[in-house]
Amino acid sequence: MADPDARPATSPGRFEEIYDAQVVPIYRFIYARVGNRPDAEDLTAQVFMRAVEQLDTTRDSGQIVSWLYRVSQNAIADYWRAFYRLPVIGTEQVAPGWEPAQPDEPRERPGDTAAAVSRVRRVLERLPQRYATVLELRFLQRMTVAETAQEMGISHGNAKILQYRALRKAAMLGDPDA
Amino acid sequence: MPDDELQPRAERFDRYLDALLVGGRPSPDDVGDRDEAEMARLAAELSAAADPDEGGPDPAFLDQLRLRMRQADQGIESVQAPLPVRSGLAGPRSRVRVTRRQLLQAGIVGAAGIAAGAAGAMILRPQDGGRDWIWDDGTPLVSRDAVWLAVARVNDVPEGSAVRFSTPAFDGYVVNDGGTIRALSSVCTHMGCTLQFRPEWSDLRCPCHSASFDLKGELANGRTRWRQTGGYRGDERAYPIELPDLVRPRIRIEGDQVMVLTANI
Repeated sequence: MADPDARPATSPGRFEEIYDAQVVPIYRFIYARVGNRPDAEDLTAQVFMRAVEQLDTTRDSGQIVSWLYRVSQNAIADYWRAFYRLPVIGTEQVAPGWEPAQPDEPRERPGDTAAAVSRVRRVLERLPQRYATVLELRFLQRMTVAETAQEMGISHGNAKILQYRALRKAAMLGDPDA
Repeated sequence: MPDDELQPRAERFDRYLDALLVGGRPSPDDVGDRDEAEMARLAAELSAAADPDEGGPDPAFLDQLRLRMRQADQGIESVQAPLPVRSGLAGPRSRVRVTRRQLLQAGIVGAAGIAAGAAGAMILRPQDGGRDWIWDDGTPLVSRDAVWLAVARVNDVPEGSAVRFSTPAFDGYVVNDGGTIRALSSVCTHMGCTLQFRPEWSDLRCPCHSASFDLKGELANGRTRWRQTGGYRGDERAYPIELPDLVRPRIRIEGDQVMVLTANI
């Protein structure tokens, strides 16, 4: 294993080749898991800035790609730790420089939006009708709470409670693909 | 749980959902427990999956990140030529501390002077017999071949205001923070967007992710400050991460001119 402190000689522009090839898929991978643009941009920037510091660009492109996804997964995990009130482990401790490729490569990679939409459908199908409807209106049709309430003929407050119950139920049921 | 007990939780969680569904930055503060964190995570996945067109990165973001990477890459490869120190990011700030005796000699022992001295700023009094301008001299960003450029007139910067300036090496604002003149970089310390001065709030606001910096150059709407002050000026939630202070370029005042130390290009 290479001395982690010694940064290997790289041909100029190698990073930008990697960046150009990987930044969009990595961004999409992260966006699919945090669901909003500002956080997806922050995490993508973290991953690539870490790559500048740590990535051995002389490795073959397969290893580079799996390194990028592993660091991305760790960054996403750290992001969610804040929501679960768990201590942040820190990407550098989880993915220091180079390790042998891990068997738990990301199961799915981005680019398959049809699969993502059908996954939403499968989540909704398992819910009682009113729960599915409120999530359909809010998430797929992007209605506001007020519009959703009007559409469903319920009060504003009840629409908020209904979407809360619907999401709780959906989260309890777990991954439909598991 | 009956509806009336659930109402406050549902209200709060809706703030998370609302931010998420309009493409904003949702806050962990709106998520109460592990169950809600599971719900938030599912909501984030559903939102992204249901709105795949939004999944494409902004070209401006991609360009900006490419530039940051290139600079960082060159910074590491050419250790002999370090990039200008960005205060708060790299190493201790090169600040000049002044003793109380020096303050007394300078004739400034007012509350403002002591407060600024405690913050590590150097307080000077101009020798030209003009008005007693107080300024905050900042960090020299340039080590050699530097030149003082006049960038603003003091009279153009009344208290609580800021004027934009541009030098060949960097851009910034000259601000008047309760009578103390200082220069602040106009580059947000998050992703490098250009900050906009908002006169009604006396702050420098980032158009990209809504960070606000006060006229000391410190993040004004972060969680720490939010907890101290209970909110920030109409913002719905705290800026979720702490950011380094804005770079404060070195300045001095000559007559009624504010001069900034910049590279001689």
